[in-house]
Amino acid sequence: MQGKVIVVDHEKCTGCRLCEMVCSVFHTGASNPSRSRIKVVKWESEGFYLPTTCQNCEKPFCVEVCPTKACHQDLENQRVIIDKDKCIGCKTCIVACPFGAPSFDHVERVSIKCDYCDGNPQCVFFCDTKAVNYVDSDRVGVSKRREFSLKFSELLRQTR
Amino acid sequence: MSLASKPSTKTLKRIRPQREWRWEIAIYLYLAGMGAGSFIVGLFTHWNGFGLSLPLRTFTFWGVPLELSKLALLWGPILVAIGAPFLILDLGKKLRFYTACFNPRTSWLARGFFILSGFILAGLIVLGALSFQQMSHPPLLWRLFEIISMLLAFATAIYTGILLKSVRYIPIWNTPLLPALFLLSALSTGSMGVILSTMGYGLLFPGGGLPHLLISRLTRIEQILVLIEGLILATYLISKYRAKDQGEDSVRLLISGDLRFLFWGGIVAVGFLFPIVLEYLYSHFPQYPGLLFATGALLLAGGFFLRLGLLASGVKERLPMYKLIEMKIKMSAFQRGE
Ligand code: SF4
Repeated sequence: MQGKVIVVDHEKCTGCRLCEMVCSVFHTGASNPSRSRIKVVKWESEGFYLPTTCQNCEKPFCVEVCPTKACHQDLENQRVIIDKDKCIGCKTCIVACPFGAPSFDHVERVSIKCDYCDGNPQCVFFCDTKAVNYVDSDRVGVSKRREFSLKFSELLRQTR
Repeated sequence: MSLASKPSTKTLKRIRPQREWRWEIAIYLYLAGMGAGSFIVGLFTHWNGFGLSLPLRTFTFWGVPLELSKLALLWGPILVAIGAPFLILDLGKKLRFYTACFNPRTSWLARGFFILSGFILAGLIVLGALSFQQMSHPPLLWRLFEIISMLLAFATAIYTGILLKSVRYIPIWNTPLLPALFLLSALSTGSMGVILSTMGYGLLFPGGGLPHLLISRLTRIEQILVLIEGLILATYLISKYRAKDQGEDSVRLLISGDLRFLFWGGIVAVGFLFPIVLEYLYSHFPQYPGLLFATGALLLAGGFFLRLGLLASGVKERLPMYKLIEMKIKMSAFQRGE
């Protein structure tokens, strides 16, 4: 990871999908969650909600597989973006991303992905419970790893 | 039963088939593979690889003499050329298709653009040149060109598997067995294609006698290819099924999930069982060419279903976070004694 990234605290997420709404309005002018760059994965009956979006990987695989170089690393702003004027909508980046971050916009017929709203992510701004945050990747790396291992060991303890 | 007592594990995410690359890509992969495979078999036959060649039939079109027997063997590049637009059909922005070759340094889709174009060009040159003039003693340079076109045909057949393999995070695609399977399927469907075209040629121009001998030899080779293909497919699926989190979901999807009809009906029955039975019958009743035509049609359809099934079963590895959440769900179900 590099630069700033969006991190999610799934325990704070209520599954309201406001982030999807504001994302689609900001990027497309339409209130259409299917065109949002952030997606809330739901385990509805268990009350688990996990907003997912681009992880801003250090070696982005989507960039590697893109045949047109539409998906590229903007080194200046340290983020991975898709140039929609170059994208041919082949969906390779969608198939290739392990996080399922890019998605296909059926209106514009190109792939879309989170571009961090040019440094001011609307989902972070509008999330009432602060389940999505925009922080420096250095801090995220350590805290995320610690959080994950804590949860994992807690689970293992429960299974014993 | 109250709502609360329903087994919570049912609420885990249902695995659904991959839907980004669909039938258009399956046709693209299939026609590329079958075209390349038939060209390999056809060129090998043309080199007298099976000790036989088709009787010659020369026709004159607008004053140009054309040798039709070569078309019966070397039509592969035409099929690949027909298949390539299906990739374009799948694109969101079809008119920008030519930019799909801008990143061959890392993208296999871009590399495929060059491999397929190279094969179509070289294959059409071979087909055209051999149809226009008989070369009893071809110059060395020409032989070299033929070998290059053969290598390009192999590259095309293997590429169809490598394209999927290059998408690393889909475990069922990420194995060298997939390009091997697609190569074998390309050769088996390709040889069946050549058998059918040779047979059509024999029916159109009867009296040569040779097509039957050639067909029986090709059929033997095709049977061996189908057998090896079946073995690779079984090894491939078993190895993926055993590797937990590394393709198990996809194999489940195929054998007992949403894709079970496609797998058991389309791939196993239409692609392997029926053709084997019909071919066996044909070997006992060669006076009924309809049996071989039916075998061919089924085998070719099976080849397409194989691509379609493996494409659709390409689900991603579940992320650690998802696994963690699903583990939690299972745990709470367990603690509730469900
Ligand atoms: S869909 Fe667009 S951005 Fe994604 S790989 Fe294809 S051309 Fe590149």
